[in-house]
Amino acid sequence: MRRHLAWLGVLGCALGATPSTAAAQAADSLLVSGIRAYRNLEFDQAALQLRRGVGQLTAAGAPVAHRAQGLVYLGAAELFRGRRDSALAVFRRLVLLDPRFRPDRLVFPPEVTSVFEGVRLRTKTVAIVIPRDTAIPLQDGALRAWLVASSFQTVNVTLLYENGTSFRPLYFGPIGDSLPVQWDGRDAAGQPVPVDRLLLRVASRAPTGELASLLQLPLDLKISRPDTLPWPDAPAGSELRPERAAGGPATRALLGGLLLSAAVVSLPAAVGSHDTPSGPRVAVASAVGVATALGYLLHRPSRPLPANIRANESVRQAWRARLAAVQAENARRLADVRLRVHAGDPAAIEAAGP
Amino acid sequence: MRVGWLLLVAMAVGVARLSGQTIHPAVAASVVTARVRTEQLGEAFQFSGAAFGGEGTLSLGRVELGLSYLQGRLDPDTGSAPARDLIEGSVLLGVRPVEWLTLSAGPHARAYAANGQTQRWVYWELRVRAAKPFIGAAVRGYAELWRAVAADANVPEPFDHAQGGEAGMVVRLARAPLEARVAYRIDHAVLGGGTRLETVDGVVIGVGLSWH
Repeated sequence: MRRHLAWLGVLGCALGATPSTAAAQAADSLLVSGIRAYRNLEFDQAALQLRRGVGQLTAAGAPVAHRAQGLVYLGAAELFRGRRDSALAVFRRLVLLDPRFRPDRLVFPPEVTSVFEGVRLRTKTVAIVIPRDTAIPLQDGALRAWLVASSFQTVNVTLLYENGTSFRPLYFGPIGDSLPVQWDGRDAAGQPVPVDRLLLRVASRAPTGELASLLQLPLDLKISRPDTLPWPDAPAGSELRPERAAGGPATRALLGGLLLSAAVVSLPAAVGSHDTPSGPRVAVASAVGVATALGYLLHRPSRPLPANIRANESVRQAWRARLAAVQAENARRLADVRLRVHAGDPAAIEAAGP
Repeated sequence: MRVGWLLLVAMAVGVARLSGQTIHPAVAASVVTARVRTEQLGEAFQFSGAAFGGEGTLSLGRVELGLSYLQGRLDPDTGSAPARDLIEGSVLLGVRPVEWLTLSAGPHARAYAANGQTQRWVYWELRVRAAKPFIGAAVRGYAELWRAVAADANVPEPFDHAQGGEAGMVVRLARAPLEARVAYRIDHAVLGGGTRLETVDGVVIGVGLSWH
């Protein structure tokens, strides 16, 4: 049973392994053996293995920290091999890779760290520290990036269109250790960005004004506008009560009263009595007539119906409140336009020589 | 008599639908300004006065039972005839085939008493009554006609026919069982081939309580 499980584990590892991870592991082992050789003062062997290891790490896209560790040991090994030019080139490459990198003074002797410092001070480059994905409110937000310089220099930070023409300058001036830069998501005229891709370019210049390095970062942009809510429908006719009285009740009162009065007056004739005084009948018919007149007035057509008017007003008031709430929410949403920024990988562009 | 049988069948149908119904009582008191006119062999005698009475109704579904009693004193309007006491009562059993229509039947007795002599009239009546609100739900108008299918009176003339009616309105106060009624009523009897005519009419004013 244990043998079967072991074989399954081996098979799983074999299937899970990929060429890139295998290459990275090989590069790591080269770095480890190179560093061991360096510590054993076998600088030739160390330089050989570290150079191969760094090359493989670069090809595999390994993290900057790994590559930086390999480069600093490689530079030190080259220095102790007496190949100062190679050491300078390696250290310059290291500074360009990570301007914030500093050799560990507990590991490397002053000969190495002083040479590295000299290279760092002469190499003018920056690192751009920016979140990979950011959403900034166009109303009052800003995209914030942090520039970390290798040494004191002058930088020109510009946003460019993809074709290289200028979109908006962000900063021009000196930078010591680090510098925050920000962009409000708009062009120079204050309008929202009209394109979906820009390039953030940082040009580093030596104190003499000479262009030292160019670093460029692609920014993919997308304006995100939230959906607005539909307005609530106005109260339908079926939801509202009639605000004016119909003519039916008044007509019924009038006709009913007339009919009843006629019945009262003609009752003796209906029962065959033809010699009956009319006084009592007329009195009752008059009472019916008065009631009829009052009923007609109370139920007259088109008279306002205050109870229904109040009920309808409360329905309309509720609708207006819902409408105002939706309008306020839509205004809030329309104001909350966000610019989504995806930062790509920075790329160093070789500065043209003098 | 055939009409009487039909009415009894109609009541039986109404009684058959009584299960699950609620009894609705109604009581009323009324004052009637009664006028009695008798024409006999070319002579006319007329009495008038106020009578007071009460009535009650029990409704169960489409069936209702009505009782009424009236009593008053009538003074002569002409001549030197002595004053009479008027006593009147009725028991009517009815059915409502539709909401606004009531058919009823029963005895209706009336007596005039004067100087120790009493003249009695008993009518067996068929009544038709139509009632409908005509001013909102507060005022209901009604008209009623009746005809005597048989009669018994201790008068010398043989009974010929009699019929009568009542029309008026009932005002019901909102959200209260209190009702007020004003109506005009009349009945007219013919005896002896027209040699004697008896007419009783008057205005009815009443108040009542009705739990509908």
